[in-house]
Amino acid sequence: MGIILEVRDLVKYYKEGGGVVKAVDHTSVRIERGKFTAIVGRSGSGKSTLLHLIGGLDRPDSGKVIIENSDIFSLKDDKLAQFRRKKIGFIFQDYNLVPSLNVWENVVLPLGLDNRKVSSAEVENILDKIGLLDKKNRLPNALSGGQKQRVAIARVLVSKPAIILADEPTGNLDSQTELEVMGTLKQCVADFGQTLVMITHDENIAQMADVVIVIEDGKVVSQS
Amino acid sequence: MSKKTEGMTGLSTWKIAFRNMQYHKSKNILTGIAIFLTTMLLFVVPTVGKNMMDLQFAAINKVYPTWHALFRNVDSQTAEELAVRKDFLKYGLRSDPGFLMEDGLTGSMLYLDDTAVELMKGELSSGKFPQKEDEIVVSKGLLKALGQEGEIGDKITLTYQIERNGGLDTAQKKEFVICGFTPDSETGIEKKIFTLFVSKAFLQAEVPEEQTAYRFMFQLDGIDNSNTEQIEEKIKGIAKAFGILEKDMNINKEFLAANYVDPAVLPAIIIIMVVIMVAGMITIYSIYYVSMSQRIQEFGRLKAIGATKRQMKQIVLREGMLVAAIVVPFGLLLGTLVSKLVLKLFIGTGMVVSSEAEVMWEIIDNHEISLWYPWIYLLAAVVTFVTVYVSLLRPMKKAARISEVEAMRYQAGTGCRKSVRKGYEYLTIGRLARNSFFGNKRKSMITILSMSFTGIFMMVIATVLSCADPVESANNSITGQYGIWQHVEENNKEHPEWAWSEIQKNNPLNNELKAEIEALDGVKRVDVFSSAKISGGPFLEEVEVPDIWGVPETYKKEVEEGIIEGDVDYEDLLSGDKVIIDTPLLHWYPELNVGDKFTVRIHDGENSYEKELEIAGVGDYTYGLSAGNLVMAKDAVDNLCSSNISRSFQVVADKNYDEKLANELGNLITDKGILEMETWKAYYETYKNGMELMRGACFTFFGILGVICVMNLINTMINSVHIRKKELGMMQAVGMSDRQLGRMLQLEGLFYTAGTLVLSIGAGSAAGYPVFLWAKKTGMFEMSRYHYPFTVALIIMAVLTVVQIILVLFLSRSVKKESLIERVRFSE
Repeated sequence: MGIILEVRDLVKYYKEGGGVVKAVDHTSVRIERGKFTAIVGRSGSGKSTLLHLIGGLDRPDSGKVIIENSDIFSLKDDKLAQFRRKKIGFIFQDYNLVPSLNVWENVVLPLGLDNRKVSSAEVENILDKIGLLDKKNRLPNALSGGQKQRVAIARVLVSKPAIILADEPTGNLDSQTELEVMGTLKQCVADFGQTLVMITHDENIAQMADVVIVIEDGKVVSQS
Repeated sequence: MSKKTEGMTGLSTWKIAFRNMQYHKSKNILTGIAIFLTTMLLFVVPTVGKNMMDLQFAAINKVYPTWHALFRNVDSQTAEELAVRKDFLKYGLRSDPGFLMEDGLTGSMLYLDDTAVELMKGELSSGKFPQKEDEIVVSKGLLKALGQEGEIGDKITLTYQIERNGGLDTAQKKEFVICGFTPDSETGIEKKIFTLFVSKAFLQAEVPEEQTAYRFMFQLDGIDNSNTEQIEEKIKGIAKAFGILEKDMNINKEFLAANYVDPAVLPAIIIIMVVIMVAGMITIYSIYYVSMSQRIQEFGRLKAIGATKRQMKQIVLREGMLVAAIVVPFGLLLGTLVSKLVLKLFIGTGMVVSSEAEVMWEIIDNHEISLWYPWIYLLAAVVTFVTVYVSLLRPMKKAARISEVEAMRYQAGTGCRKSVRKGYEYLTIGRLARNSFFGNKRKSMITILSMSFTGIFMMVIATVLSCADPVESANNSITGQYGIWQHVEENNKEHPEWAWSEIQKNNPLNNELKAEIEALDGVKRVDVFSSAKISGGPFLEEVEVPDIWGVPETYKKEVEEGIIEGDVDYEDLLSGDKVIIDTPLLHWYPELNVGDKFTVRIHDGENSYEKELEIAGVGDYTYGLSAGNLVMAKDAVDNLCSSNISRSFQVVADKNYDEKLANELGNLITDKGILEMETWKAYYETYKNGMELMRGACFTFFGILGVICVMNLINTMINSVHIRKKELGMMQAVGMSDRQLGRMLQLEGLFYTAGTLVLSIGAGSAAGYPVFLWAKKTGMFEMSRYHYPFTVALIIMAVLTVVQIILVLFLSRSVKKESLIERVRFSE
């Protein structure tokens, strides 16, 4: 399979209330292509910061993130944005859909930003898979939480990134919807052969992963 | 809990409003700037208006005569009849029996009775007004100009011409005794224009009673409660009753305006203030409206914790009023400084005539009038607060109506409650921008409408001002760059050669002179206009008797294009029987129509003969082309007379003004004695000076209004970025680059700019044309042709585009100050 993502000695500190918070403290991780990796840890353990650094949403104090042989922090802002839209897909806890765009538009947004052609059949296929084809003209305010998260998943899938980063995607959902969304996500990742890195503090979800990385105080304490 | 804080957290609505004001700093700074500028304008306009009026009135009362009106050419019998009327508080008589006959100076001999002396402020620097036939009042400057010396009691000999038998008689010499001195004015000495006072005995001895023409000047009685319009009507009524013609009536409008209420002034100031109020109101309303969508959740939370509708309204109102309370004093302070500057600018840059300006400076320096009035401070402050209050009414209502549940569920950025929208199959940056702009049409339209308000006004004013182009006005006044005319004066016994019949015998405007002028460097050609004197027919001596004006074929196009009534071309005018009546002449003879035929007497030197003419059309021409005459083809006019009747040489030159050429022309005509020259440049300078300040004042006013309205664009763009901080961050998280973000924001701004420009320039241009037609009809600025204000339109386009580009660059940078993850995590 090979390594798709390598985190090398990553450091990110924050100043807070006169002190320093070591959000990510000399962390190194290697993630295999095509695997579902769960990053778990208590609240404030630094897992979200690590995910954001992996996705290039934030810049570290030191260390490297290498995705498909590219050191992402050696790229300038615009190049990093281009890299992100080609190689990385994000799924956030609070969905982060564009409220003024309908379901279809939210899904094709990354393609538009990348000037890629839209295959209507492909988008319809993905929307059909997540069960929202009949709601493609709906605006986000007319969707339930689970439906919104499924739109976020479709948005990631359609751009076929090398790696999908999910930040507690089911954190805002009830348990029934959580299972549905996770089922959809896992199935789609499997169908499209993508790599998924997910943050969660939910033991049940972590158990669904191929690899589980445990973070404490900004450091990797175990990887299994 | 007190009544005020009922159901709330213990904070009063004042405190919440105050905290809100601090929290929504950027919005309140913008609102503050709009209120600040509105206050300043609301203070400056009435202050400068009042100051200008006060100064002018004070200056007028110092300088101007105090008669309300005078009637010219009144014979002694009419004067006596007028005198017995009860309309007059006082009346006086003046007569101008003659003029000094001295080269290089003008000396008018005036007789004034005692009341006329009082009404004309005829003050002497020493001595007394003349009583005896040989007594005279002169000025020291006149004596110096005459090369004479003298004191009171000394004798001087003067040569003069008396106006009798319808013209100036031959020169007479007479010895006078100086009985007094008038003060000299700088202008008088510079231009060598002097006034001499003679006695009634002199007048009676020199001019036969039946030929004496008086000026009957008067003040009306019982008009204390009348306005200037009513006073003018009364004066016109008296003139009509005595058969006094309009051209013989002179109303002292300046004095009337200075001492009685001009019904046009107050409405003008009120209209300007209403324009400022509306601009301020729209801007403040728009800023609050746009900000409201950002604050729906905030108000929803307040409602959720128990704020009543009344309290919600109070919070919004008090936040606005607090901002106003902070900035209004600063607006008044700046207004105080600006009003004095504007006043100095008005007086110092030629808006008022220099003689009045001198007096005005004196009045200001001596603190004779107050420049600032407490009631204007109060008025500006009250009107500003009312403006803010009215602007806040709808936002208050909106805040009170917000439902707790809806507010909590409200998603910032959608701006609409629709659940379904047919979108695009694929997205581009342009479509994303379009979606954001049209996503909340109402908000976008309000911003565009409020910004266009000033733009439309500006375009209308610019249309009027561009039609009042001094170049155009100068072009309308003179056909070429230099106009050469004979000095024509009938019945001057001392200069019989100035009579037109005499000039015709040896007309200096001949082919020889034409060839000499054409040979000068810089001269393109010389256009010759002819003139045939007529009398009789429908034309009355006491109204206006035109000439038949021969226009050369070079102006065929202008003649034909200027015809507004009648089917006639230049060829028809060559027949010698058909004429075009121009609009200024038609004003005096409105009963004349196209197709009318009449017989006039043509004066050809010493001879005359009758000829029938037909009005073939009505022409709307520039004054330089037809000058209030009957227009005919030049060749046809030349054929009407046997002698040379060339009346004007219009020298068309390479440049509008060339000092060397002007001097050469001057030298050429000096030799010919009776020729005079006018220049395009002199006309241009006169119009330019008059229009420049008007233009400056208008554009400064609208410039400030424009700044108020640009606050809208700034507010809308800031809000649009702030409110969508998370959305924009999220777009960047899924791959939107900084460059794409900048482009999207620029495009959004461009929609606002384009919308504003389309509306401002479109509606402004459409409204400008009828306003121009109205201004032309009323004779404003002597404009004649419509000119589209391209420069102003381009300036508006450039300014808005530059403001938008700078604004978006600034916003894009401010967005980048926060890291992407901070923006993605942003929550209101």
